[in-house]
Amino acid sequence: MYPYEGMFLLDPVAHAASPETVEKAVQGLLEKHGAKIHRLERWDERKLAYSIKGHKRGVYLLAYFDLPGDKVSPLRQECRITEVILRQLLLRLEEEVPAYLERLAKYYDKIKEDAELRRNDRDRSSRRDREEGDDGGGHSSGDSLDSGDGMDREEDRDR
Amino acid sequence: MRRTRSEPREGGNATKHAKNKKPPRFKRFRDRRGRFERLGIVMIDWKDVPTLQRLCTGQGKLLSRKRAFNSARSQRLAKLAVKRARFMALLPYVGS
Repeated sequence: MYPYEGMFLLDPVAHAASPETVEKAVQGLLEKHGAKIHRLERWDERKLAYSIKGHKRGVYLLAYFDLPGDKVSPLRQECRITEVILRQLLLRLEEEVPAYLERLAKYYDKIKEDAELRRNDRDRSSRRDREEGDDGGGHSSGDSLDSGDGMDREEDRDR
Repeated sequence: MRRTRSEPREGGNATKHAKNKKPPRFKRFRDRRGRFERLGIVMIDWKDVPTLQRLCTGQGKLLSRKRAFNSARSQRLAKLAVKRARFMALLPYVGS
């Protein structure tokens, strides 16, 4: 048994019709191959970056589980056959699932903290620019990398 | 004739310096480390779309190490994460 992380992209139409059936199907698929599921979470329907099999939107299912090593390729094979699964990504984790989840949580904490710091920074600098006012303001925009625009854009798109 | 080190050169740096003498300028200290070094993170999650977007250009290309201020290790992690995210259609292969 090895720890794995798996993400499944599901057909949004089928999922909208009967969410439980589709999710149970994936769960059943995992269990059929002897997976011990630690966590199974659903991401809400979101827009895909590019269309897959004619779908522009999709529902993601993220699973953490233990799986016997020899069952990986059969599982992949069967995912490909299953029609509700548009795409799947199976990754072997370097550490056990609980440890990995803990590390992930820490990672997100730090990222979040940093994002907040950055936001405060940006507010302060923009205020300073406004106070300087008629200085021509050639330098005011700062460097684009640190401005955190990417994040805002993403949030807008999701809404 | 061989000059020793201590002898100043004729018309050399000494006079040049005196002519162009400017008040000393101090560069503002800037943390040159990237985000991930600064935070002490040694992983980049491929599901973390906002972070990954910041590592990409508007066209969806991966930012160079210099632009992203990434260390070699972080850049490798970033590369892998972005590629995985692209596969799952979280990020575009080719931007708009």
